[in-house]
Amino acid sequence: MARMKFLCDAERCIECNACVTACKNEHEVPWGVNRRRVVTLDDGVPGEKSISVACMHCSDAPCQAVCPVDCFYTTEDGVVLHDKDMCIGCGYCFYACPFGAPQYPQQGAFGSRGKMDKCTFCAGGPEPDNSAEELEKYGRNRLAEGKLPLCAEMCSTKALLAGDGDVVSDLFRNRVVRREGRPEVWGWNTAYKD
Amino acid sequence: MKYIFLLVSTVMLSACYEDAAVTIHEPGVYKGKVDIHALTAQEREVVLAKRFKQVQTDR
Repeated sequence: MARMKFLCDAERCIECNACVTACKNEHEVPWGVNRRRVVTLDDGVPGEKSISVACMHCSDAPCQAVCPVDCFYTTEDGVVLHDKDMCIGCGYCFYACPFGAPQYPQQGAFGSRGKMDKCTFCAGGPEPDNSAEELEKYGRNRLAEGKLPLCAEMCSTKALLAGDGDVVSDLFRNRVVRREGRPEVWGWNTAYKD
Repeated sequence: MKYIFLLVSTVMLSACYEDAAVTIHEPGVYKGKVDIHALTAQEREVVLAKRFKQVQTDR
C-alpha cells in the first residue's frame, strides 16, 4: 500500500512561495491561516537554504497522540486527517507538532480560537468526496480526482515532491547521485520513524 | 383559547427534544465520521504513482 510523504529538496527550493499561494487558493484557506510556509535558514548568509514546510503526515503523529477528543485518523494512504465536527480547538496538537502545522482561524466576536486547520495532503476530510461540506471545511480533494497535492505538482523547480514515499525517495536518490551530494531529507527523521 | 394555548405549548416544548444517543469517548479511538473512498487503496496507489510520473519527474 502507498505511504504518502512530502519531501522538500533544499538544494532546489528558490523561496518563491508559489506552493503557499497555490495551497491558499486551491483550498480557500481562511484569512490568517497558512497550511504551508517557506522557511529560510541562515537568511541573507551565503549558502542559505529554504524549505517548504507543512504537515508532514507523520507515521506516528504526535497530534493524533495528544488530541483529547481523538478527532484524528490516518487513511490507508498514510495521510493524517481530522474531523472538524469533533475538534474543540484546544490547541494541544499545535504544541505537540514538531512542524508547527496546526493553525486556528479566529472565530466569534472576541476572536476566539476556531477549529484546527492544517494541510490535508489535498485529501479533503471525512465528508463525502468533493461535496460542498468537504470543500468548505477541508478544501479540495485532489486525491479523489487521481491528482497529487497542488503545492508539489506546480513547484517550478520540483523542489517539493509529494507522493508515495518509495517513489519520492527513488527520485530524490537519483538526484543526489547525479549531483554527487549528500542526501538531506529535511524533516524525514522526525516525521517518518518507521 | 385554552386548548390552543395547550397545543402551542406542547408543540413548542416538544421542539426542545435533545438526542440522547451520546458517543462515549474511548482514549485513542477515533469515533468521527468514516472517510469513504470511491477507489480501494491499491487502485489509488496505481493511479497516484502514474500521476507522479506524469507531473513530478525531473526535467
